[in-house]
This record gives sequence, structure tokens and C-alpha cells, in this order.
Amino acid sequence: MRGHFAKVSLFAIALLAGFAFLGHVVTSISGGAVVAVEGVGPEAGEAIFWGKGTCYTCHAVGDRGAAIRGPNQGDTGPLGLPVGLRAEARATERAEQTGRSFTATDYLLESLIEPDAYVVEGYKAEMPTVHLPPVALDAEEIKAVVAYLVSQGGDAEQLRVEQSPLWETVKAATAAGAAVEPFALYLPGDPEAGRALFFSPELTACSRCHLVNGEGGQVGPELTMVAATRSVPFIVESILDPGASVASGFEQMMISLSDWSEISGIKKEETEDTLVIADTLGEFHTIDKSEIDELELIPGSAMPENFSELLTVDEFHDLVAYVLTLKGEAAAPATEGGSD
Amino acid sequence: MKRGIQCVLAFAALGLASPALAQVGGAVTEYRTFFGMDPRTTVWMIAQIHLLFGAFVLGVPIFAVLMEYIGYRTGDRRFDHLAQDFTRLLSAAFATTAALGGLLTFALISLYPRFMTFFTEVFHETFYIYAGLFFVETIALYSYYYSWDRLQKRKRAHLWLGVLLNVAGVAILLISNSWAAYMMSPAGVEQGTQQFTGSSWEAVWNPLSFPFLLHRLLGNVLFGGLVAAMYAAVKFLNARSGAERAHYDWMGYMGNFVAVSTMIFLPFAGYYLGREIYSTSPVMGNNMMGGSFSWMFIIQAFLVGMIFILVNYYLWLGMGRIPGAERYQRYIKYITVSVFVGFAVWLTPHNLPLSGEEQQLIGGNFHPTLKWLGLMPAKNAVINLIILATFSSFLLYRRSNRKGPVAFSEQGAMGRIALTIAGLVGGGMVLSYAMTIFSLDPASLDLAAERAAVFLPVAVLLLVQVAMIVVALSLTLANRGWLGQAILIGWTFLHSVVILGVYGFVVMTSANPFLRQVAVAQWLSLLSCLLIVTVIDVFLYRKAESVGELRWGQMPARSQYVLIALAVFATENMAVMGYIRSGLRENWHIYGVLEDTSPWAFTPTEAYAMSVISVTVLLFLGMMGLMFWLAGLGQKERSPVETEAASIENA
Repeated sequence: MRGHFAKVSLFAIALLAGFAFLGHVVTSISGGAVVAVEGVGPEAGEAIFWGKGTCYTCHAVGDRGAAIRGPNQGDTGPLGLPVGLRAEARATERAEQTGRSFTATDYLLESLIEPDAYVVEGYKAEMPTVHLPPVALDAEEIKAVVAYLVSQGGDAEQLRVEQSPLWETVKAATAAGAAVEPFALYLPGDPEAGRALFFSPELTACSRCHLVNGEGGQVGPELTMVAATRSVPFIVESILDPGASVASGFEQMMISLSDWSEISGIKKEETEDTLVIADTLGEFHTIDKSEIDELELIPGSAMPENFSELLTVDEFHDLVAYVLTLKGEAAAPATEGGSD
Repeated sequence: MKRGIQCVLAFAALGLASPALAQVGGAVTEYRTFFGMDPRTTVWMIAQIHLLFGAFVLGVPIFAVLMEYIGYRTGDRRFDHLAQDFTRLLSAAFATTAALGGLLTFALISLYPRFMTFFTEVFHETFYIYAGLFFVETIALYSYYYSWDRLQKRKRAHLWLGVLLNVAGVAILLISNSWAAYMMSPAGVEQGTQQFTGSSWEAVWNPLSFPFLLHRLLGNVLFGGLVAAMYAAVKFLNARSGAERAHYDWMGYMGNFVAVSTMIFLPFAGYYLGREIYSTSPVMGNNMMGGSFSWMFIIQAFLVGMIFILVNYYLWLGMGRIPGAERYQRYIKYITVSVFVGFAVWLTPHNLPLSGEEQQLIGGNFHPTLKWLGLMPAKNAVINLIILATFSSFLLYRRSNRKGPVAFSEQGAMGRIALTIAGLVGGGMVLSYAMTIFSLDPASLDLAAERAAVFLPVAVLLLVQVAMIVVALSLTLANRGWLGQAILIGWTFLHSVVILGVYGFVVMTSANPFLRQVAVAQWLSLLSCLLIVTVIDVFLYRKAESVGELRWGQMPARSQYVLIALAVFATENMAVMGYIRSGLRENWHIYGVLEDTSPWAFTPTEAYAMSVISVTVLLFLGMMGLMFWLAGLGQKERSPVETEAASIENA
């Protein structure tokens, strides 16, 4: 009995010692030290890219690294160009898409702080926002990473990150991440009164465009589950400043027709020959594509931006209180995103 | 009952964990040490041992009740005694699990007061539910165990007690699992302020709760089976009579069988979990297999591969006690080659942090040829190969003492009904997934519309799989079941391992996000094959003539060491995965929300991690051994083993 027990114990101990030894072997054969570099130049950016920023877990740079989740940032990446040169081509593309001027630096900054704004074809929109946890880079570190990326084929010496219109956004965003006061509404609000406001045809007329539990229009995003998927600050911002963030698929467009008339609204449906547009009055217009002279995306939201003038403080809080009760009874996938 | 009270007291203490606990003389204490030892390693070891005990305690009742039910339905008393034996082990381990839970709670409150303040804020309501469920589980377990003999005549009532035990166990797992999952994928936290504003349910059902729950449930059953098999192996080695050896040989076999049955599903539950971790945070996901934890994952791959190899080896050794098995020995070499080739590919890394010198040695960041074997399409292909090979071992084992197959037409209506149900379930799930892929919108994967062309071959191959299932079923009905099995296994190998394995590389380069769907298609095809081939096999050999009786107990001693090694490998693997799961958060207590600002917030080396893990496993095995020994002290007076074992030997 004792003999077998001792043998079994020794056998188990030998196996476990083998595993511990395996760990020691692995540690002794692999890795290399990670060296911290100070400053905002390409060298510091390189250290962040391959270290704290964890960029290397998705992106390789030429032959360095093996990750394939994101585009290679060397000359084996998309367009056959290293990212320093590729950013210029992308900037042109972004300028055409947004109607704003874009430089290579703007493009790189946008890629880091708003990674979903432009996603390279063939890749998923899954890159984390670098100034938010868990990556949480500060403005100087972001600047260093941009310098490193530009140095891949471009001239980092000529880089003027501070002159980019996005730089202020970066600074504000990183500062906001560092110290934020808890958000709180001034008043609790009355959800019942808010509901009456929401469905009132005169004052707010929210229901003319938004669907809640099967009631209301279908111009804007459905709000049946909005409170379950969106934070309070986001909802408040969407009411007071709807253009700050527009839900994907609800961008406003202006269409000039061959008879010199114009229609603005949100695209609801498109076939090979026709386009269905919903205007802010909740009416749907079917347009023959052959009659369209020009189609232009209009920045901002189709939603009125004057609720801060239309509503009293009490009414506004009542409306918010009602919206915060909308945690979903019906399936409402359209609540994604949203200037509502 | 004292044991249950112990646990409840522990949670009452947890409920008292207020912020005041963290304040001494006005200064807030965020971290403490454990008598000078670092708190992280302390909590790591206690939590891991508790989780291993917990896994055993929650895993064993699932198959114990199942075996009792089989015994009840078939009238085979051996299953009833086996279930009782398993439950005896459970009873011994339960109190220790509760005591360790209390210790873990105290350690967390005293060593991580800041974390526990936040955590209590989020989960305080669940603590009471947990304690209540623990009462239910304690009552159910002891009622189940102590009423075994008394309720022999009222078996249904006894089985319902077992069901209650499992329901309480799964509910406990759901809550405690959600605590761990929440630390990786917090929900209900305001971005910016990092304050919890959500509901308790939102916290419990956080994004990783279900993937973890599924993985843990399967893992617990596998682990429970292997630890029970290890117990049987030790008892076998120490047995004094042939009857005793026969009993423990059978018990070891059943424990291993439970583990093998579960193991088929585990790699895919793991894949699903990994996918969800990646979806929760690409940073965390990439770190898992392509960053700081990539070497740990290779060690994990080694352990998983070894478990598969040992399981096959045990089955082959087991064929030695079966008259007639010699007819199938010649196939084993092919299975061996398949398992080892699969293992080699499974183990090949792709993305490792390398120094410049190391890169020079292999001529780049990765090996020019072997790098392909490290990618997910290769892994998905070979895990299917390994499972298919292991399944083949199982088929050979179960046919070993049977003469040629019996015509299916002799199986009556039951055979046709079972075959139809298996066909509907297996074919239905494959067909349903084919339809899903046909209608898949490329935009949902952030792919351009023209990439839909990449989806088509996968959907078509799934339709062919459905056609092959129909062919296999038709051949079976036409008394050509063996041919039907061969065709289905052959096609599944070709489709799931070879074609989709290679096609996975095409998908990677042209529509990478679709690779997940390819993996699911591979797995569903394999699963449908295993289901239908098993059902066909059962009816082909159900009435087949026996070559000779199984010689239970006539196993070489090395077979029992295989069972012991399996339990050690499984325990080590669970501890490695536990470390990876927890370590992925790096310097965060709650990922992205509550940062670990202590001096111990770093990722240790593999050497340190493996040493801690191995010591932890040793402690667990030692404690488990002690518990089993203590449980065995009172067993002799009332044990039915001798009489029951004799019935096995003479059966």
C-alpha cells in the first residue's frame, strides 16, 4: 500500500517538477528586454508601438512582427506603401469622403483616436481607441506614435502634429480621460410628463421620426432600447447637440434633381433605379435615380438642433427621464449610434 | 451541515466588507501583504486551489446523477454503485471547497480592500443569492448522499434530489463565474467617470459570462471525470483482490469515458471563449496568443495535446482486456500517426515575442515554412483531426469484443426512430448553418459586398455534408451501415480537416473576419459526423454476438499511471488557463475600469508562473488525496465494493 502510494506521489511530483522546469526553459530562451524611451520622436513612438501601446499585437511593420489582425504598416501593407506614404493617399480619400481638408497627419491622428471613422477594406472595425483604457496613451505618447508611423516611408522631421485641427481634439480627449467629474442630471424629471412631450405632435414631435415600442415614425433610429445601450451623457448630448455624433446609416443628404428642385433627408432604401428618402417631417420620397443631378452628404444630423430653446429646464429633464426608461421590450437594432 | 455554515459565515464577513475596513487612522489602505509575502501570489494560489476544488464539486454531480439514471433505467446495479462512489468523493471534497472559499474571501478583503470596495458595490446583491444557493446545494448534496440507501425503492425521488443538486450547482457557478468574467469584461460602468451605474443582472450577465460558463461547465465535468479516474487508479494499484481491481478498473474507465466525451466539445468552447475575449478587447485577445501570454498558450497546447495522446493510449491499453480486440490492433498505428501529426501542428507557434538575435537565428520574425502551421486555419484543421482520431479509437474500443455488425433491419422501430432523430439533429444543424452562411451579409463582418463570393464554397461544402449524412443514413437503412459510416467519416475528414483547413488560408488573406464562420462550419460538420456515426454504431453492434467477456481488472499498472498522469495534466492545464485568464488583465483589477496600482501589478515570467502553478497543483492534489483518504476511513464498514465488484467480475 505504502509502496504504491509513494510511487504515485513521486510520479505526480516528477510531472509537476517537469512543468516548472519547462517554464524556466521558456523564460531562459525567449523574449529580449523592452527598453523605455523618453520624448515624442519616432524612437519613443517605436517603443510605444512595440510596448505600452500594444499596437504590435495587431499590426506588423514590414518583416517586423507577425500580427495580421490590422494592416501591415510597412511596405507590404495595403497599397504596397509603408504607412508614412500610405497616409497621404488615405488623406486624399478621407478629404473626398468628408468634404474637409485632410493631411496625412490628420489621417493618422484620426486613426488613433477615432479608429472606426475609416476602416481599411478587409479588416474589421475593432481597433481600440488609444486614449481610452486599457491602452490609455496620453497626448504626448500619441504624438510619438504618429511620428513613428510617419517615419515609415515619410519624413518625420517635417511633422507638425500641433498644426493639425485634430490635435486640440486629441488634447481634450486625453485630458478628459485623465480627470472627469461624475455626470449627473440637475433634476430627476417626470417620465410620464416626458412621454407626453415625446409623443406631442407640436412641441417636440420626437415620435414623428423615432419609433418606440412600435409607435412613431421611422425616419431616425428606433429608441425602444436606447437607455439599455447608451449612457446618460450620450443621450443628453444627442438631444441638445444631435450633430455631435450621427448614427451610422442616418447621415443627412441633399439631392439636387434635374427639375432644379432639392430634397434633403435620410436615405431609407435604395434599389438599382430608385432611392427612398425620408425628410424631417416624416414623409418618404421615392426618387428615380435618373433624375438625380447631384447627391451630397450634409455634415451634422437631420434632427432639429433647437431643443435647448424649445424646452424649459423642467421639460428637458422630463424628456430625458422618459428616454431613460426605454430599456427595451421590442427588438430595436437601429438604436446603434446616434444623434437622435 | 457545519461546512455550509462555514461558508455562509465567510460570506457574511464579505457582506461586512465596507469601505471603513480600508481605513486606518484616516489613511486609506489600498493593499496589504500576507505576512510579508506578496498579496498577488497569495490570492492567486488560494483562488486556484479553491477553483480546482469547486470544479470537482460542481463537475462530479453532473455525471454522478447521469450514471445513477443509467443504472435506474437499465437495471444495472454497477452504475448505481459507481454513482454512489463518485458522490462519496464529492462529499469529502465539499467541506474543503467551502473552507477554501472562506479563506479566499478573507484574503481578498484583507489584501485588496480598494478592489473589494468597488467589487462589493457592483455585486453586493449577488452575495446573498450566492449564500442562499449554497444552503440549497449543501442540503441537496447531503440529502442526496445520505438518502442513497433509504431511497433505493424510490429512485425517482432520489434522482430529483440529484437534479436539485445540479441546478443549485450550476446557479452557483453562474454567479461566481460572473464575478471572474466581470473583471475581464465589466458592464454598466460609465465611460469617463468609471463609476458603476448598471444593475446587478447587467453585471452578472456581462459579455464574457456565458462563454466562460459554458467552458467551465464542460471543463468541470472533464476535470471531475479525470480526478475520479485518478482516485480509481490509486485504489486499483492498492487493491488486494481481483474483485477490487475489477471494480476500480471499471471506475477508472468510466471516469476516463466521461472525460473523453466532454473533451470533444471543449476545444470549440475554448475557441468560442477566445473569440469572445477578442471581441471584448482586441488588446486582451491579442495578448492572449500573440503577446505576453503566447508562450503560456504553447504550454497549454502541449498539455491539451498530451491529454489527447494519453486518452488514446489508455483506450489502446484497455483493448488488451477485451477478447477480440486483436483484430483492430493494426489500425492503431494510423491513429497514432494522425494524433501525433495533429499534436505537432497544434503545438507550432506563430507569433512570439522574439529578440533580435532570435529573429536572426530563424531568418525573420517567424519561421519561413512552419509559420503557416501556427496560424488558426491549421489549428482548426488539426484539432478536428485529433478529435476524429480519438473518436476512431473509441469506435475500435467499443467494437472490440463484438463479432461482425448485425443487419440494421433487425433493430426494429427503435433503430429507425433513433436514426431519424440523429439525422434530423445532425443534418438540421449543418443545414441551418449553411443557410446562415448563404444569407450572411458581408457588411456585418465589415467586408465589401463582393467578398460574399468567399462565403459560397463553405456553404456549398456544408450542403454536401448534409447530402453525405443522407447517404450514410440511407445505406444504414439498406443494411450497409458500415459503408455509410466509412463514407461519412471519410468525407468529414476531407471536408472538415483538409478542404476547409486549406481554404482557411484563402479566407485569411481575402476575408479574414469570415474565418470564425469557417471554424464553426468545420466543427458542426465534425459534430454531426460523430453523432450520426455513434448512433449507427450503437445499432450495428447492439445485438452482435460477443467474442468473449471483458476481463475487468486485467490491466497493466502503467495504464493506471496513465490515468494519474491524465489527472495531473488536466489539473495543471486548468491552473495554466486560470493564470492566463486572470493575467490577461495585466495591470487592471477590473479591465479598463479599476487599475491595479500596487507594486505587484506586473506580468511574471513563465518560470515564476509555472513554478507557482505547479506548487498550487501539488497542494491541491495533496489536499484531495488527504480528503479521499479520510473519506475512505469510514468506508470499510459499509462499503458494498467487495460484493458489488464480485458481480462485475462474474458478470
